Amino acid sequence: MNNSAVVNPVPSDAVVVDGVSMVFNEGQQNQVEALGSIDLVIRPGDFVSLIGPSGCGKSTLLRLIANLLDPTAGSVLVNGKSASQARVEQDYGMAFQQSGLFEWRNVQKNIELPLELKGWSKARRRERSAEMLELVKLSDFAAHMPWQLSGGMQQRVAIARALAAHPPLLLMDEPFGALDEMTREHMQAELLRICAAAETTVVFVTHSIPEAVYLSNRVVVMSPRPGRITEIIDVDLGDDRDEDSREDDEFYARITDVREALRGADRVAGARGIEDR
Amino acid sequence: MFRKIVAAVLPPIVVGALFLGLWELIVKAFDIKPFLLPAPSAIWAELIDRSDDIIDATLNTGTNALVGLLFGVVFGVAMSFVLMRFQVANELITPLAVALNAIPIIVLVPVFNNMFSSTTEVPRRLMVTLIVFFIVMVNVAKGLRQVSPTHLELMRSYAASPTSILVKTRIPNAVPYLFTALKISAPAAVITAFVAEYFGGRQNGLGYSITSNAAASRNAASWAYVIGACTLGLIFYLVSIGLEKTLSPSDGSTQARQQQSGGLTPGGVTT
Ligand SMILES: Nc1ncnc2c1ncn2[C@@H]1O[C@H](COP(=O)(O)OP(=O)(O)OP(=O)(O)O)[C@@H](O)[C@H]1O
Ligand SMILES: [Mg+2]
Repeated sequence: MNNSAVVNPVPSDAVVVDGVSMVFNEGQQNQVEALGSIDLVIRPGDFVSLIGPSGCGKSTLLRLIANLLDPTAGSVLVNGKSASQARVEQDYGMAFQQSGLFEWRNVQKNIELPLELKGWSKARRRERSAEMLELVKLSDFAAHMPWQLSGGMQQRVAIARALAAHPPLLLMDEPFGALDEMTREHMQAELLRICAAAETTVVFVTHSIPEAVYLSNRVVVMSPRPGRITEIIDVDLGDDRDEDSREDDEFYARITDVREALRGADRVAGARGIEDR
Repeated sequence: MFRKIVAAVLPPIVVGALFLGLWELIVKAFDIKPFLLPAPSAIWAELIDRSDDIIDATLNTGTNALVGLLFGVVFGVAMSFVLMRFQVANELITPLAVALNAIPIIVLVPVFNNMFSSTTEVPRRLMVTLIVFFIVMVNVAKGLRQVSPTHLELMRSYAASPTSILVKTRIPNAVPYLFTALKISAPAAVITAFVAEYFGGRQNGLGYSITSNAAASRNAASWAYVIGACTLGLIFYLVSIGLEKTLSPSDGSTQARQQQSGGLTPGGVTT
């Protein structure tokens, strides 16, 4: 087991997950041990992907970092603060598999929602939302309603909304899961461009090995339930990864690594007699 | 746009005209007695003849329906917030409201009539209020409660206050539900106001006029009042649709959903 992630957490770390485990409905008949003992340190500027079989607790781990759930044991630090403090201060933006746009707000108003809740003035909100619309290349659609956009465009609005307050951390749960392959690859490139421009740290949940490898500089491989980190694979596609990087030898080599790590995780689980779905 | 309206309106008009023509023809050809089935021309003559009285009766019944509708909506919306806030209230009252909707609670009118003097419109308006109240309460409470979990998680991730969540998520989410409730309530209010007159009380509305004329075998006159009742119901329904179109033009998704599910749109009153 590779625990290279746990090298001396420092206050400047973007995320520190320390000995976190999560049990749902503890003590009840439908008790689920979702996460084993998780240690993970994410540095500022990292793009970290979480990958693992369905039900291994990827979304749970992301929700714990977002303080949408409280861990059964262990602690989570975000930007050197407790996760709840970080949430209250809106230190992170979040995007889900469903874009989760508010149907009764137009594109611009959707992007401005987190700013509204922060109490920004209207002029300041206008300025920022215009900036974000430009970033996701949707300036012409500011006044459109969500249902007038394609799925990919909706997802870009959701990303713009997540980034609107310029949070240092972006948490994404399978944001491209519902998109076709072409749109998906396009969106991946866009996301890299946007996050590089805004110097955002990203934690990204995905089911797709190529997606994880293409986007990340570290891929966290998790075992079946109860989820544990079995391996962390460093990817070095260079800072200027582009469409050509998908043909790189490094790209294929890391895909193979992740695939084998996932198989290994399965075998470990199998040997422990844990159901392997 | 104009062609679309013509295309939507023309077929029912043509069918209606053909139907009336056939009706007239059959009555004439078989010499059907007026007390069995009056000819459309006879009904029309009565309509012109009694137009003042018909308008009066329509206004009286219409006012009852409108007053009851307004009170029902106000109380229904207020109560829906209570149901949203208190799970217990929701679990107690919602099944009750659904059960009440399944039985014809209009039979309560005689009871109300006994409670108030016979010269007031209160019992009828109370009945309309009650019917509308339950429809609005159940629907709006659903809209306030059934918020997308993703929206709630997002609001929590923004550290939004309970008030913000209510104002920016729950209430906007409930707006289409309110309009749906209005579209159901508006015709129901008219029908209730109208049927309530069958159970006694003041003798100034459409329901009373229809029964009394029918009892006196003045069938053509009865039918003339029926036309008044149809017009009233239609006006209420069209106004409720108009309100929805003008007040929530943004919410195309729900509009689209409702139209797909064969909602009652003016062009295709088929269901
Ligand atoms: N709110 C909850 N209550 C009870 N159990 C839960 C809850 N949320 C998740 N679980 C359980 O925790 C486990 C991990 O769920 P989680 O959603 O984190 O998996 P995942 O890795 O994101 O899966 P997928 O890839 O399918 O999205 C699952 O077995 C699930 O049943
Ligand atoms: Mg998940």
